[in-house]
Amino acid sequence: MKVIKAVYNFIVGDMIILIGVIVAVILLALIENVSALAPLRTIAGAFLILAVLAVLIASLSREALGKR
Amino acid sequence: MQWEVATTAFLASAVEFVEAFTIVLVVGLTINWRSSLAGAFAAAATLAIIIATFGVALVQFVPIDILRLVVGILLILFGLKWLKKALLRYSGLKALHDEEAIFEETMAEVRARGEQITPRFEPFGIALAYKAVLLEGLEVAFIVISFGTSAANNVCSKTCAIGSAASGAAVAGVLIILLGALVRAPLKQIPENTLKFIVGVMLTTFGTFWTGEGFGVTWPFSDLFLLILAALYLLASFVLVTWLKQVRLQHQVRASTAPPVTNEQEGVRP
Repeated sequence: MKVIKAVYNFIVGDMIILIGVIVAVILLALIENVSALAPLRTIAGAFLILAVLAVLIASLSREALGKR
Repeated sequence: MQWEVATTAFLASAVEFVEAFTIVLVVGLTINWRSSLAGAFAAAATLAIIIATFGVALVQFVPIDILRLVVGILLILFGLKWLKKALLRYSGLKALHDEEAIFEETMAEVRARGEQITPRFEPFGIALAYKAVLLEGLEVAFIVISFGTSAANNVCSKTCAIGSAASGAAVAGVLIILLGALVRAPLKQIPENTLKFIVGVMLTTFGTFWTGEGFGVTWPFSDLFLLILAALYLLASFVLVTWLKQVRLQHQVRASTAPPVTNEQEGVRP
């Protein structure tokens, strides 16, 4: 458990960033591999950029608004 | 030589080397330089073995597309962590990294153990310097390996790209050690937060680009899109810092206008 926690803290150390990026990656994988979602492939790049920005904003919001 | 890879490795390494140098300096001044340097060199050797082993293994056995996807995701995680910390520090919501405070704190810790200055090797001093250099250096090793293996292209092979990243890190290390040897004090003049911010933007940019490529995304303008992506993240960062500063001001105004809390309101009985 200590090793897992050390690796988590070393790489990311923030649950919002970790979960946000994992969700974005799963959605991207679905877009690329499910044929019904093929029309969305043209916006996959834009989706990834927006997801990264959304994760950053969410993580900063928690830090900023949680200090009340 | 890939300059963007070498620059990123140089900046990231400079930040980490400053932190490691502070601890090595404390050990050198309070215990002895022999133990301090022994610990630091042992950690540097360990890091070199880690880079050589993992770097070579990744170069030889993992296909570049899979590598880019995995490294891209890891770089996004790593980059967002650095970027978040730097933005919080810029806005004043988090205290700036204070090398002098770390220096004093570690100095007090060593003195509390009653260590005396002796010419002999002191296990505690060696262990302290080793731990500091190894822990800070691991982040450098991670960046050197991940950047080096993923930045390979037709012009520069994986080995060449790892070499570029390792060169950037080595130059940063030599520069910080030279500066430290001249100053012999905590290197507080180095704009650590600015370096961390730039590296955070670069890691997030490369991470997004490679993750996209790993999923088969064709970026407009090919590699030039990296510049557009970096500009986009920079712009977003400036907007976010402005917003965070406003939030901090609102907190301060609220705190100054709030009525004082009495014992009754707090539910405290005399």
